Amino acid sequence: MMIDRTSIPADTKYLTPASIAAIAVVAVALVMLPFVWDNRFYISLINEMLIFGLLAMSLDVLLGYTGLLSFMHNAYLGIGAYVVGLFLIHISPTSIWFAALVGIAATSLIALPVGWVQVRTGGLAFALLTLAFGMMFHTVVWKWYSLTGGDDGLMGVPTPEVHLFGWSLGTTGDPKVMYLTTVVVVGLCYLLTRRIIHSPFGSVLEAIRENEDRAAFVGINVRRYKLYGWMLACMLASIAGALFILYKGYIGPTTMSAFSGAGVLMMVLLGGMGTLWGPLIGAVIFIYISDYISTMTEHWEIYLGLVVILLVLFLPTGFVGIGDHLKRFLKRKG
Amino acid sequence: MEEFLCTEDLCRHFGGVMATNKVCIDIEANGLRSIIGPNGAGKTTFINVVTGRLPASSGKVTFRGRDITNKPTHKLVKMGICRTFQITSIFQNLTVFENVRIAKQARLGGSLRVFSARKSLKAVTEQTWAILERLELQDLADQPAKNLAYGDQRVLEVAIALAGEPQILFLDEPTAGMSPAETQHISELIRGLADEISVVLVEHDMDLVMSISDVISVLHYGSIIAEGKPEEIQNNEMVREAYLGKEE
Repeated sequence: MMIDRTSIPADTKYLTPASIAAIAVVAVALVMLPFVWDNRFYISLINEMLIFGLLAMSLDVLLGYTGLLSFMHNAYLGIGAYVVGLFLIHISPTSIWFAALVGIAATSLIALPVGWVQVRTGGLAFALLTLAFGMMFHTVVWKWYSLTGGDDGLMGVPTPEVHLFGWSLGTTGDPKVMYLTTVVVVGLCYLLTRRIIHSPFGSVLEAIRENEDRAAFVGINVRRYKLYGWMLACMLASIAGALFILYKGYIGPTTMSAFSGAGVLMMVLLGGMGTLWGPLIGAVIFIYISDYISTMTEHWEIYLGLVVILLVLFLPTGFVGIGDHLKRFLKRKG
Repeated sequence: MEEFLCTEDLCRHFGGVMATNKVCIDIEANGLRSIIGPNGAGKTTFINVVTGRLPASSGKVTFRGRDITNKPTHKLVKMGICRTFQITSIFQNLTVFENVRIAKQARLGGSLRVFSARKSLKAVTEQTWAILERLELQDLADQPAKNLAYGDQRVLEVAIALAGEPQILFLDEPTAGMSPAETQHISELIRGLADEISVVLVEHDMDLVMSISDVISVLHYGSIIAEGKPEEIQNNEMVREAYLGKEE
């Protein structure tokens, strides 16, 4: 057998013809949607799904690729959102892109020392530290009334105009404009993250996920790369945070609670971790179910819990594993 | 002649137990050194301390004249100090190729490239193929490592270590649990390596140790009690006592 020494066997490719086609179809459908179906409620709902999809995807970088569990990744969405909101209220109500950059930078600045401490551990200790730091941030936001509005949340966030190459699309107060902004930003983040995951850098994260000890013994500085993975995940979460505050015009401390953090984790597990697109689907399922059930009962969390339990029991690999399940099911029948 | 890898009064204790007790060893820049000893003699602990998996309690490790005591593992690997593990330690869900490729990438650099494809690191890909061919693993390249037979996993572990371009390679019981044919295969491989680099072998299979070692060190209760050529060790009274107990 002749071996092509320049090729990598069973290499996971950044883009294949099939994935390009799938991404193109989804992208076109999402962009066209508000023009053919002008339903404000559903456009807003999909907007929210995409924002939390980005957050779940950022958690997947950590959980599915680096093998690190964060219980409160929503904290970094929250920090990004508060910073962007405060910037728009107090400094400049119109500079939308600059506000977003400040949000990402501020979140990174906070995530860096936290990550520095956390990567000194692994496994359960790492997960517990994420919970400890997350609860601290939650409490700060909740109690620092003069800055964050405490319980009442951050209100009166301006709705800046969305500029693209000097061309105004309208303000973020217009659901359609906000929705299209979200589609573009989340789409770009997905492509960028996918690119990074398939790079040599991504392979280092996977090696750490598979076997931290072995990774150190092939010469990888495990702590440093865990920190890089953490920073990437937090920066993506802060982008979701910037979108969140622009979309809602409001953020309260519950968005940063441990309860909401568990929800993000469920999105990743429901969709299927280690795939990037799985958690995006997971966010869609999770938000759809919670929205649907909450219209019927105010104790919707109980029923959501039941649905999640059933899904985890019968689809342990998440939504992405549904194809394999169906195949096996049909084989047994046939 | 420049010293290669030396330890000076190296100690490691767990509570009151001296697992490694004032070990002084002077390992040559090539050839095959075996470390033997009864169960619990502290062979694995010794390797763990030298390769940076466990911190030393006291004493010193030097490599080419530099003090490397308690340096982080990844730095030791970059200096050419590599190892395999007694309990197979590989990247289970990655392909055989990727297992070796990641080690090669860590060696040659390029891990901070975030926007290029993995195969853009051409030297990494080529040298990975070369290692797989040398160890006859090329036909399994696309298989997830967890699907491999146990013996092949042990060989893969050696392949991962070799990708780090070691100057000294520590092999912790590489033949444990292998069939006679697999043992034969890996012993030829080890002998071949020892002609190029320094190999330190921890092994229980005495026939294997006696047939391929250049020098043997015997550990007993954490200390070296004998050192010499295989035939010298075989005739050493203290070694017999350590293994068989004192004759009454």
